[in-house]
Amino acid sequence: MSGRVIVITSGKGGVGKTTTNANIGTALAKAGKKVVMIDTDLGLRNLDLLLGLENRIVYTIVDVVEERCKLKQALVKDKKNPNLCLLAAAQTRDKSAVTEEQLKDICEKLKKDFDFILVDCPAGIEQGFQNAVAGASEAIVVTTPEMSAVRDADRIIGLLEAKEEIKSYKLLINRVRPNLIKSNDMMSVDDVVEILSADLIGIIPEDTGIITSTNKGEPIVNDEKSLAGKAYNNVARRIIGEDVPFLNLEEPQGVIAKIKKFFSGLKGKEK
Amino acid sequence: MILANLYNKVLGFFRQTEKEAEESSKDTARNRLRVVLMQDRTNLTPELMERMRRELVELLSKYVEMDKEALELNLEQDGDQVALMLSIPVIRAKDEEEIKAALEAEDEKEEESSEEENDEETKDNPEDDENLDSDEDSDKDEEGEDDSEEEIEKSDETKESGNN
Repeated sequence: MSGRVIVITSGKGGVGKTTTNANIGTALAKAGKKVVMIDTDLGLRNLDLLLGLENRIVYTIVDVVEERCKLKQALVKDKKNPNLCLLAAAQTRDKSAVTEEQLKDICEKLKKDFDFILVDCPAGIEQGFQNAVAGASEAIVVTTPEMSAVRDADRIIGLLEAKEEIKSYKLLINRVRPNLIKSNDMMSVDDVVEILSADLIGIIPEDTGIITSTNKGEPIVNDEKSLAGKAYNNVARRIIGEDVPFLNLEEPQGVIAKIKKFFSGLKGKEK
Repeated sequence: MILANLYNKVLGFFRQTEKEAEESSKDTARNRLRVVLMQDRTNLTPELMERMRRELVELLSKYVEMDKEALELNLEQDGDQVALMLSIPVIRAKDEEEIKAALEAEDEKEEESSEEENDEETKDNPEDDENLDSDEDSDKDEEGEDDSEEEIEKSDETKESGNN
């Protein structure tokens, strides 16, 4: 087996890297793929929380690097899905505890046993970013339709393009708010894609369910009804190679929106 | 009829104001972002753009008479390509003698390297150096640094000649 190593990065913090990682990883595992997620955010680990695995961590990536345990011993199995594993970051150390070479080496070893290695990258463009990218050959750049996030994504794309090892990168636009886009108060997906001129792999709507799912330590892809969950599932299918159309987020949902639509239709006729 | 007209006008007024307000926020964001990304990608700060503009005015004035204040210099993006757009309002073309005179004047200037101009350059240098130093590393930047080094050399020369 030779797995694909995908780094999930954004430049700016708080745009949803870790949430994206947890959900894509879970969705890929649900689709029958063997997945391992590596949290490289040393000192600020959170991926364990989103997966509800915080109480099961015995060894971290630093223990592996400093040879206090075998690589396999440090992999934490997911509660529900045996296909899914986590290699946690150390909470007490800083970014210098693991080098680019060591991360490359870990990725190489994991490639033999897993279909997908998802690397959760810390915010910023310093050493933490360089480490996370070191072992990857693909990247997903997470952004939101906000100026600061798009600007940082542009910077990250510039850095990724300069890396020979990165063969392809895709854009994931998170926290899309169709209502704001409709009222022209938010840049649309098309605007962001045009400005960054990058290929799109996913459009995730803003969803309050993300907050409750984080509270519970249960990725939202496990919630069949959630629109964000559906969108993340679609991203996973696109990664596998399926041709899945993007969700139509513009379509009004719920009774009130339908009534509004009905009346706006009448107004149109009056003209 | 009159009532209907009035109704339409009022409605039209509200729609218009609504539209104007709507356009602003998202389009403002998009346009601001375009400008700032262009600067990020090229390492051309507004100060450097203004300097480029000034130098272009100086250069082109030798050949045409133009509205110096109205000369526009912008970076624009079309797909993957970044283009430097220059818009020059020409007042009139200069005749042969004027151009000749301007070129001759410049040749003389170069030989003498008049003190006034060099003083200006020495003033400009520290500012520009700061800008270049604060930027991240990139090819363009290196070029920029080369430029400034040349200028430093020039200004060093002037200092020397001043001392002499």
